[in-house]
Amino acid sequence: MAAPCRHVGHHIKRNGSFLRINLDQLFASRGFRWTSALQQQGAEVHKESKEPIVIPRKKSWSSEAVLEALASTVHRDPTAYPYQFQDDPYLSPRTSAEFKLFSLSQESGRAAAKYFINNNPKFFTKDFAEPHIPCLMPESVALRLEEVSEEALKERITLRKVSAAVEMYDQLLQAGTSVSMETTQELLDLICLYCDKNPVQEGEPEVEDAEEAGEETKRRKHKGRRAADHLRTSWKENNNAERIFNLLPEKDSRCYSALIRGMVKHGAYSKAFSLYTDLLNNRLSADVHTFNALISAVPDIRDKFNERWDLITELLNQMNEQKVHPNLLTFNSVLKALRRCGFLAKTYAPQTLNEMKALGIAPSLATYDHILAVFYKSGSSGPNNTDIIQDMLTELEGTSFTCQDPHDVFFFSSAMRICLDSKDLELGYKVHSLVEVGDNWRLLGDSYQQSVFYGRFFSLLCMMEHIDVVLKWYSRIIPSLYYPNPQGMRDLLQALDTDGRLDLLPTIWKDIKTLGHDNKVDLVEELLSLMAREEHSPEVQESFAACALDVKSVFDGRSSMEWSTSSLSHVTTLLLRANKLQQAWDMLLLFKAKNRVPSEVLLNNFLSVCQSSGAPKRAVELVQLAAAFCLPATPVLAKTALAEFQLTDEQRSILSEFEAAPEKETE
Amino acid sequence: MASLIRNVFLSLGRTNVCGLGIKETTNRVTYATALFANSTSGNKGLPDRGGRGSVGRRPRREPGEPRTEKMPLDQDWTSVYPSATSFKSNAVPLPVRMGYPVKRGVPPEKKGNLELVKIPNFLHLTPAAIKKHCEALKPFCTEWPSALDTDAKCDEHFPIKVESTDYVCAGPSVRNPSARIVHLKVKLSRFNLNDHARKKMLKLVGERYCKDSDILSITTDSCPLRQQNYEYAKYLLTVLYHESWKIEAWEAEKTAADMEEYSWEDSLSQKNMLDTLLRMKVAGEGEDADVRKQLLERKEVQDYKDSVVRLKNEGASESSMLQYKEAVRKVLNV
Repeated sequence: MAAPCRHVGHHIKRNGSFLRINLDQLFASRGFRWTSALQQQGAEVHKESKEPIVIPRKKSWSSEAVLEALASTVHRDPTAYPYQFQDDPYLSPRTSAEFKLFSLSQESGRAAAKYFINNNPKFFTKDFAEPHIPCLMPESVALRLEEVSEEALKERITLRKVSAAVEMYDQLLQAGTSVSMETTQELLDLICLYCDKNPVQEGEPEVEDAEEAGEETKRRKHKGRRAADHLRTSWKENNNAERIFNLLPEKDSRCYSALIRGMVKHGAYSKAFSLYTDLLNNRLSADVHTFNALISAVPDIRDKFNERWDLITELLNQMNEQKVHPNLLTFNSVLKALRRCGFLAKTYAPQTLNEMKALGIAPSLATYDHILAVFYKSGSSGPNNTDIIQDMLTELEGTSFTCQDPHDVFFFSSAMRICLDSKDLELGYKVHSLVEVGDNWRLLGDSYQQSVFYGRFFSLLCMMEHIDVVLKWYSRIIPSLYYPNPQGMRDLLQALDTDGRLDLLPTIWKDIKTLGHDNKVDLVEELLSLMAREEHSPEVQESFAACALDVKSVFDGRSSMEWSTSSLSHVTTLLLRANKLQQAWDMLLLFKAKNRVPSEVLLNNFLSVCQSSGAPKRAVELVQLAAAFCLPATPVLAKTALAEFQLTDEQRSILSEFEAAPEKETE
Repeated sequence: MASLIRNVFLSLGRTNVCGLGIKETTNRVTYATALFANSTSGNKGLPDRGGRGSVGRRPRREPGEPRTEKMPLDQDWTSVYPSATSFKSNAVPLPVRMGYPVKRGVPPEKKGNLELVKIPNFLHLTPAAIKKHCEALKPFCTEWPSALDTDAKCDEHFPIKVESTDYVCAGPSVRNPSARIVHLKVKLSRFNLNDHARKKMLKLVGERYCKDSDILSITTDSCPLRQQNYEYAKYLLTVLYHESWKIEAWEAEKTAADMEEYSWEDSLSQKNMLDTLLRMKVAGEGEDADVRKQLLERKEVQDYKDSVVRLKNEGASESSMLQYKEAVRKVLNV
C-alpha cells in the first residue's frame, strides 16, 4: 500500500514561437535575393498599419526561476506527514520516537548505500543521468598514492585521514625531504580540527583505528555518534599537533591560529591562552578566527565576572591594535561570553550592539538570542519587562534570515519560552509569524529544538486562547509538525475543561492512543476523571462510555499499567451513566480482582441504575459483593434493595441476612 | 499482503522441487524457512502462527485512519497535490471506485486500488491551481505588440511560422530526442513566383504543399539538435525558392505527361472534336488549316473545350458532367 517510488513521467507541450523577420529589410533593398522572396503587399499594408510594430525585448531568467515561481504558489499542507516519509497511514510515524527512528533509519540506509558506492566504484561506472549529477557518482575514498611524497600527504589531507597523514609527514621528515609551508599548515589545520583522531566515517565500523589506544575506542563506543561527541574530545598533552608544531623551524600566524583554535575547540583553554601570549611575544598578529576562539574561551579561564569582562576588552583592544577587523562571529562570541558574566551583561550587551551597528555588521539570530538570554533569565522576569522582546520582534518583522552562526537555531525556542513565561499571546503569535516568513523555518533547528518550540507555543495557546482557536491550531500543527508530550496533552485537557468542551474528550483519547501516550497512567486517569466528573447529554454519555471501554481494554492489554481505585470507579460511573449494566458489573468484579474497594457513592449509583433498568438479580449480587468487601454501607444497601425491588423469597432471605450483618459485628 | 507473497514463494518452491536435484531442494527449503523467520519476527501478528504466545510480542500495528478524515473542507487543495504524483488514496478525500465488479459486486474501493494508481491523474491541475500558476508566470511574459491585433496582420508581417516542442520528463535523463523536430510553415502566395516557378516549386516539394490552405510545411528532424534543424529548414526554403526560378536546359523536354494541368490545345480531344466536326460537314469547304481555325473559334467548340478542361482538371462531379453534356449536345446539335 506504500506509494510507488518511481514518478510517472509526463509531457507538457509548449507552443512554438513566431519567428521574427526584420521588417526593415523587407522594405529596403528589393534587389537583395533573400528579401525579395517575400512579396510586397503594396500600398494596402501601409494604409492599415500606421503604428509601428514594436517587438518587446525577450526577458531572460535563471534556469530555476520558473520552478521557483510555480513553487511560490504552494503552501504547507497541514495534514501531511513530513515529506521524507511514505504518505501512508500505516507507514508514517505516529509518535516522536517513531519519527526519530524512521528518519534515522532512512539516513542510515542512505549512508550505507553511499558506503557501498564509494567502496565499490567499479560497479557504479555507468552514468544514466543527463545532465550529469556529480553527487550520485562514487567518490574516491581510498588512497591511491602509496609512496612517501608530498602529493601523498596532500591526498591524505584532502581525504581527511588524520593518522595516515601524520604518519606520512613523519616519514617525509625522516627521509629528509622538506614539506612546503602550505602543506604543513593544512596538516596542522586537519589535526587540530579532528583533535588528532580520525573523523568517524558514516557507515564504517569503528575498528578502523586499531592503532589507537583501546580505551579510546571504548570511550568513543560508549559515547556513540551523538552530536555532542566532539565536545567531549579532550586535547591530550603533547599530541601530534603540538609535536609537529614544536618541530617547525619557523611558525607563522596561521600555524598558531590552527593550534589555538584546536585547543579552544577541544577544551584546552589555558594552553590556548599561553600559546596566544607566545604569538604576541613573537610579534605576530592573529587573525579574526583566532580572536573569536579566544573570546569564546574567556569564561572558562577566569571565574570572576569583572575579570572576564576585563579580559574580553583586552582581547578586543589587541584586535584593534593588530588591525584585525571583527566580524559577526566576534560579536556573537562576546555576547555569548557575556551571558556568563552575570550582572555585567546588562550594561555591556547594549554597548556591544552599538559597536556592531557602528561597524555596519548586521546581527544574526544568535545575537538576538544572546541578548534575550541576558535580559530574561528563565523564570524570573516579570510581565512588565517584555519591552525588549517586543521591540526586537517589531524590528525583525518580515525579515528573512539565513543561518550564519550555529547558535542561531536557539533563538526561536528561547523567544517562545519568554512568551510562555510572561503569558503573552500576541508576542507568541508574532514569533510564530516570524517563523513563517520565507525560509525561516529552517532556523528552527533539529527535530528536538522544533518540538521544544512548538511545545511551548502550544502550551501558551492552551493557556490563553479560546478553545476553538486552540483546536484550529491543534489540527494545524499536530502531528505534522509536533508530537505532543504528555504535558502538552494535559494542557490541552485543561483548555477543554476551561471552555467546557468536554464532549471532545473521546477524540482526544484517540489521539492520545495514536501518540503512544496511553501508557502514561496519570494522563489516562486525568482524562477519566474529567469525563466522569459531571453528567452530560445522552449522546455524549454514550461516547464517554465507549471511550471508557476503550480505556479498559488498554489497561487490560498492558501488564505494566495498574488500575487505581479512582480510575476503576470513574470507568464504572461512566458505564453506569450510559446504562451499560453488564460491563459495569464486570468492572465491579475487577475491583475485587485488583483488591480495590469501591466507594459507597458508586454502589448507590449502581443500585439506582439497577432499579431503573429493572434487574433485581443484579441488585442482590451487588449487595453480596458489598458484603464481601465488608463495607459499612452494606445494610443500607440491603434495606434499599429490599424496599425498592421486586424480589423473590430467596432473594429476600439473602438480603435480610445482610441487613442484619453489621449488628452482629458490633456485638 | 505479505502472506500472499509468502504463499507464492512456497508454491514456487514446491513446484520446482521435483525438477531439481536434492541439493537444490535443501537450498530452497532453507530459503523458505528464512523467509518465515523474517516475517514472523516483525510486528505483524499473523493469525495462522497462533502457536506462539502473545506475551513478549508487540501488538499488531493498527493501519491507522487515512488523513482524509482530518482534512478541513476549506483546505487549499493546491498544497495537497502541488505537482504530478500518483494517486494516493490516503490523501484524496473522494470516494472513488475503480475496477471490474466481480461476481455482481461493486467496483473496488480506492484503498489499495492499483488501477487508480496506474492511470495518470490531473489532481494537481485543478482550475484553482491553474489560475495560481498563470498568476505566478505572468512576470515572465512580455506584452503582445499592440499593432498585431488580428490574425491577418500577424500573417502579413510574420508570414513564416516555426514550431518546435519541448518535453518535460521526470526520469534519470531530461533529454528527449523528439525535441529536435522543427516544423516550418509558410503560405506560397507570399512568394514572388511566376507561373513556371510556382509549378517547379510544387513539383519540388511534392507532398509538403497543402492545396486547400496554400501552406508549404517543411519538417526537419535529420540533425541531432534543434538549432541545426531550424537552420536546415531555412536553408531548404531558400534553396527551393532560388531553384524554382532557375530554368534548366532539360526542362524544355517537358512532355504532356509531366504537365500539372490539362490543356486542350494540341490534345487528343481537340483532334477528335475537329475530326468529328469535319465529318459532320458543319463548316463550309475550305482549306484544312483555315477550317480548323474557324471551327475552333466557334462558341460551341469553346464551350466544349471549357467543359473538357474542367472535367479533366477538377474531376467528375455533378455540375461538371452536366456542363459537358450540354456542351456536347450543342456541338453535335442534338
